[in-house]
Amino acid sequence: MTDWNISRLRLLMESLVSKDLKVRYKRSVLGFGWFLLKPLFSMIVYYFAFTRILRFGGAIPHFSLFLLTGLLPWNFFSSSLSATTSSLLDNHRLIRSIHFPRMCLPVAEVLANLIHLLLALVVLEAVLIIFGHTPGLSIILLIPAILLFTVMTIGAGMLLSIGNVFYRDVKQFVEVLLLAWFYASPIIYPLDSIGVQIIESPGLLQILRFNPVAGFMEIMHSILYTGTWPAAWCWISLSAWSVVFLILGSVVFRKAEPVVVKEL
Amino acid sequence: MKPGAIQMENVSLAYRLYHDRAVTLRDTMLNLFNRSTKMELFTALEGVTFSVEPGEALAVIGANGAGKSTTLKLLAGIYEPSSGITETGGRIASLLDLGVGFHPDLTGEENLMLNGSLIGLNRNAMKNLIPEIAEFAELTRFMDTPVKYYSDGMFMRLGFSLATAVDPDILLIDEVLAVGDARFQEKCYERIWDFRKNGKTIIFVSHDMNAVAKLCTRAIWLNDGRIQMDGEVEAVLSGYLEGVRKKHDVATVSPKEWGTREVWFDSVTLRNVSGTPARIFRKGEKIIVDAVIKTHLPGTVDGVVSGFSLHRPDGETIIGTNNLEMNEPLLSFNESTEISIEIMLDVEEPGSYILGLALTDPLARKDYHWLEFFYPITLLDARIDPPLRLSNVTWKQC
Repeated sequence: MTDWNISRLRLLMESLVSKDLKVRYKRSVLGFGWFLLKPLFSMIVYYFAFTRILRFGGAIPHFSLFLLTGLLPWNFFSSSLSATTSSLLDNHRLIRSIHFPRMCLPVAEVLANLIHLLLALVVLEAVLIIFGHTPGLSIILLIPAILLFTVMTIGAGMLLSIGNVFYRDVKQFVEVLLLAWFYASPIIYPLDSIGVQIIESPGLLQILRFNPVAGFMEIMHSILYTGTWPAAWCWISLSAWSVVFLILGSVVFRKAEPVVVKEL
Repeated sequence: MKPGAIQMENVSLAYRLYHDRAVTLRDTMLNLFNRSTKMELFTALEGVTFSVEPGEALAVIGANGAGKSTTLKLLAGIYEPSSGITETGGRIASLLDLGVGFHPDLTGEENLMLNGSLIGLNRNAMKNLIPEIAEFAELTRFMDTPVKYYSDGMFMRLGFSLATAVDPDILLIDEVLAVGDARFQEKCYERIWDFRKNGKTIIFVSHDMNAVAKLCTRAIWLNDGRIQMDGEVEAVLSGYLEGVRKKHDVATVSPKEWGTREVWFDSVTLRNVSGTPARIFRKGEKIIVDAVIKTHLPGTVDGVVSGFSLHRPDGETIIGTNNLEMNEPLLSFNESTEISIEIMLDVEEPGSYILGLALTDPLARKDYHWLEFFYPITLLDARIDPPLRLSNVTWKQC
């Protein structure tokens, strides 16, 4: 077997990621601009829905900016999961004719989306500063937080990519799951990160904290929107879920890989 | 492991075979209550053991589903054996499917750059190789065209050029050489020949017995996942073709023997020029039929006509002639006489044929002895000589 050392692996990852980015914006006029436009459009929609129709957004100053600090990471998460779910199935010919570490396929999807997230965050940060949301010292925690969240996304993605090979329902299920997950996560509302109490029931608040993405969303609100230090529970939740998903994802992937190759 | 060496030891591989495959969760739930779904283990390979020395050219032949492609996928590292050990040394290039990593929206050049990493080429190496790859594929002008506008042939050509651009120690080829037109196919074979000349190991899976005979020195015949025969290409091919013939043609053509037996073939041997008994003959090789003919008629029987015929496996007669027709001397026999018929054929379509022999009197009133459809033979294309050359050898005292 051809051996796959670290440098070859890195090369493969680079290629897969850049292929993903190239393909995504082929024949599109706005091209790379979409990584900004997409969250911007959804921000506008949610802004009107939750300040003009439902009105709770009015309690949060600069609600649109607050929305963006959650929407960008959520977009990363949901696009990554959708893409990883079909990553093995879409590449079945490749998998069945060339030997390479198949784990690279879901990982590359997540990394391509991560690049979008990072670029969008740079732009968002500039806008935030313009509107007076100067970051505090806590911004140094942004990178470790994103790193942990990426690890979690990769773990979940690996699980879904394997699941979808055995049951095509997984893809449909993920779509529905993401819709429910969005509203269950502190994206359009905060839990306790910005000093505005939207969720009044302490019991519900407690339950919502168990959501694997809640910790990261609250960290993003704290760091970007208010410029404060994120609460300890956020870090515990984020780290714990990252470890759980990574271990679960990689163990399942490794175990299932030889079977999956024959099932594809 | 030495680069280019291959070792398979007692390798088995089983697939799960679904007769009523549950592809959705709903089906699975239903199946929980109604356990009628049959899941069977299908053994694609069983107890396969062989080893290949660096520089050998090995063909894997067998019927569809015999496990040929599975063997290649195991060697390529795509499958893991269910039991047993597969080991390979050095870098492998696999031509199992061409152009698989190509994305239709990307141009030829972009695809090459992005897929080089799959076969282990870094960006600089790839950049340097692109002109060469494009030229070999005859697509230099189309390098900036998205590959979705390529014809199938162009697509495959680019895939072939890329897959063989690396310098592998082992080349795995699975029936992909039906690439492009005849001329390009020729070019592909040439490149594969170059690999052979440079002492690379080649594992070749094909149904094209001609290509196999041309390229390989050794063959393995797989039958239902087991090795039926392993040896020199000629021997294995004839064994295989004979096996196929027995399986399919017995119903239509079986050896027939009749005649008055006043004069008869007592023994018949088919051999080549060097005197070895043979059933496989290459293009340009003489087929020599040695026969001992006996008679119990008193004295000498004069003016005997000796004929032969060649048939396709289904019985269709292609050639039938005799010494009378060919203006050769008629034969005379006494109690025991040895004759030899030397047949030289122009082989246009290599394959399996059946030879028949006959002894009659010149007026065809009497059939002395007919052996119809008696001797299956295999005719192959000419051998390329020399199949390999010594490029370097050293002796060292350690």
